[in-house]
Amino acid sequence: MTVRTAAGGGCIELVGACPSEDAEPLLQLLLADRGATVDWRECQSAHTAVVQVLMAVKPELIGPPAEAGLKDWVAPAITGSPE
Amino acid sequence: MNEFLQQFVIESRELVDAASDGLLALEQSPQDTPRLDEVFRAFHTLKGSAAIVGFPPMEAVMHAAEEALSAARAGRVSLSSARIGLCLSHLDQVTDWLDAIERSGELPREADSQADRLVANPAERAAAAWVAGIVTRHRAASTRARSAIRFVPGPDSLYQGQDPVARMTSLPGLLALELTAHEPWGALDTLDPFRCNLVLTALSAAPVADLHVHLEGHTGNCAIVPMATPSEESGHALPSPVAAMIEAQRALLAEGSTQAFAGRVGSAGASAANALRFCGRIELADRISRATAQSLVALSVQPLEEALAQLLTDESPTERAAPADSARAPETVARTFRIDAEQVDALVRLAGELTVVNNAIGHVAKLAQAGDPSLAELLKDRHGALEHLVGELRRSVLRMRVRPLRAVLQRFPRLVREMSANLGKSVKLIIEGDETEADKVIVEMLFEPLLHLVRNAIDHGVESARERAAAGKARTARLLIKAQRNVDEVIIEVSDDGAGIDLARVREVALSRSLITEEQLLTLTEAETLDLIFAPGFSTAARVTEISGRGVGMDAVRRAVQRVGGHVAIRSVAGQETAVTLSLPFSVMLTHVMLVEAGGQMFGLPLEAIIETTRVPQAAIRRVGAAPVVVLRNRSLPVIDLAAVLGMEAPVDDDGATLVVAAANGQCGAFRVDRIVERLDLILKPLEGLLAGTPGIMGTTLLGDGRVLLVLDIAEMLQ
Repeated sequence: MTVRTAAGGGCIELVGACPSEDAEPLLQLLLADRGATVDWRECQSAHTAVVQVLMAVKPELIGPPAEAGLKDWVAPAITGSPE
Repeated sequence: MNEFLQQFVIESRELVDAASDGLLALEQSPQDTPRLDEVFRAFHTLKGSAAIVGFPPMEAVMHAAEEALSAARAGRVSLSSARIGLCLSHLDQVTDWLDAIERSGELPREADSQADRLVANPAERAAAAWVAGIVTRHRAASTRARSAIRFVPGPDSLYQGQDPVARMTSLPGLLALELTAHEPWGALDTLDPFRCNLVLTALSAAPVADLHVHLEGHTGNCAIVPMATPSEESGHALPSPVAAMIEAQRALLAEGSTQAFAGRVGSAGASAANALRFCGRIELADRISRATAQSLVALSVQPLEEALAQLLTDESPTERAAPADSARAPETVARTFRIDAEQVDALVRLAGELTVVNNAIGHVAKLAQAGDPSLAELLKDRHGALEHLVGELRRSVLRMRVRPLRAVLQRFPRLVREMSANLGKSVKLIIEGDETEADKVIVEMLFEPLLHLVRNAIDHGVESARERAAAGKARTARLLIKAQRNVDEVIIEVSDDGAGIDLARVREVALSRSLITEEQLLTLTEAETLDLIFAPGFSTAARVTEISGRGVGMDAVRRAVQRVGGHVAIRSVAGQETAVTLSLPFSVMLTHVMLVEAGGQMFGLPLEAIIETTRVPQAAIRRVGAAPVVVLRNRSLPVIDLAAVLGMEAPVDDDGATLVVAAANGQCGAFRVDRIVERLDLILKPLEGLLAGTPGIMGTTLLGDGRVLLVLDIAEMLQ
């Protein structure tokens, strides 16, 4: 399981490689708790579908993620578009 | 360059500046029709004068920008950020060309193709808009880019098992990548994570063909545009003696000692540039000279080292070595500036009066030969007249060198726009007092330190919009550059309403870098702790970013400012603001010094650092460990024997010691000298050539009797 809710709720953790299968559960968790934050510090990779969920919902992120590509290129698209 | 062309360059630069300012203002308020008209007129005039002097590529580029603006003027299209970016990139090109015209009197060979690239057919022009967009937002990365990619994956691509984001993040030579939504995401409860709705835009250092191979098999719409055409500019390999010469300069730089830094960089740069000039590669030589200047300013061998390495390794050095960061390029180009006719008249009048006094002194000299007894009186009288005129001449010349700070500050709106876009932060820049004037030398040296402060503010001071919202602040941060004149000083303050400086973090870093011991830390006040930021080797950046991580710390800012006789102060309120204040002398020409004799030789000490002079009995100087110390006004000060420090014999003086107490950078010490001579106002010349950067020496001047006076750098002597 790479998407999990931290004890106490309110925070969703993305851990390791997050495949496309993670997109749906992540979306459901975020829809169930609109104010939830996402901790992706341990995230090693995220499939496009997962990235799209994050971009659409724009949750509060706890980062930066472990992997450089996510940190440098994906994170700005979620936290605020540069345009 | 003929006069006509000179005038063209001067006027064009003014128009380019006016047009850039206008465009940036329009980005803030697109509905400002008078402003739009003004910008339009600037482009129109640029186009017209390019046609008159016969530079068709410039004419074409300005025409294209004018077209784009005229569509917006007629209300047919909106003036989008991308369109403004496009016009700005046209202006950048013109600036580059103007630099070339100033150097060689003509447009560079590749101007035609450069213009073609900017002014493509409509389809390509649409492409150019997104290319210009990403290039503007990733200035530094774009200098190395060979390709720009815009990839819109098919909506079904995820169902087909593809992963466009992964494919793009693993792109060969990836320099920058932006992800945006193709269409608005819509209601979240109907969101289908597997329907691809992304536009991925990227810059890559790899050639177009490699990228095609990498993206093969992906469904969707993909445009890959070549960014540069190295072939037409690629030089023939450098002749081998020249290459060997450059290799030798690299070896010199690589020695890595901090001794005589400026001398080492200066001579390596000059030798390489001369070698290139010798084999006719003027363009490359200029580039090396620029890199040398950057290295000297940044106090890092890196810019020069990189430029030299590129000469040797890069098959297309001219294209790649160009620093496209609009911040840096034009810095070293000498520019003409306009002078008020009245000031020139005043100078001519002064020259006339000086001639009269000169003749009078000639007459006095004749009387001296004849042994006239009234000679002393006459000489004194003429000397008074001469002194008066020389003073007036100096003031006139100084006034002529005065420039408004606008000359340097006007570059910042553009830079802040780029930097904040690169870092994904929202920053509003406010410039106050840009009409404040200062000596040309001050105005010109200000750019690097200010750039560094602005970078720091945006990168480290300003929080992300999200953090700001969480802290209850406006989402857009405020960055203020405020200049004002205060009697003999020009005060420039760069402040931001960001997170402030984390003092705990400063202490931690200072400790970990061994800049200070734990005991020392305990006694530091808040202000002294903040001051640690200026210590060499201090940099709190946890990560190195493209914007501020250039290995240059705040110590470089302080040194640059001190070099012209100014000082830097910082204050910070946690969670509210950080402000750095640069206090600079209005003019750099006169330095007040105290002449002292040590070891039988004359030295100058800058008066501004001197607190008092005193004479103490020999017994008052005691030894604490190995170091001599004197107690003055209940404070014990280290005694520095100037003659001994400078490697000379001090004459024995059993009666007592003459001490000059001086302070710099919060450190205080007593310099022991043989005697104090007098005080003088003089024009200090910085050390140049091989002597540049000699530690402990601020500069030199000629004394009345022709001897060279070394003026010592008290801050360095006290270290």
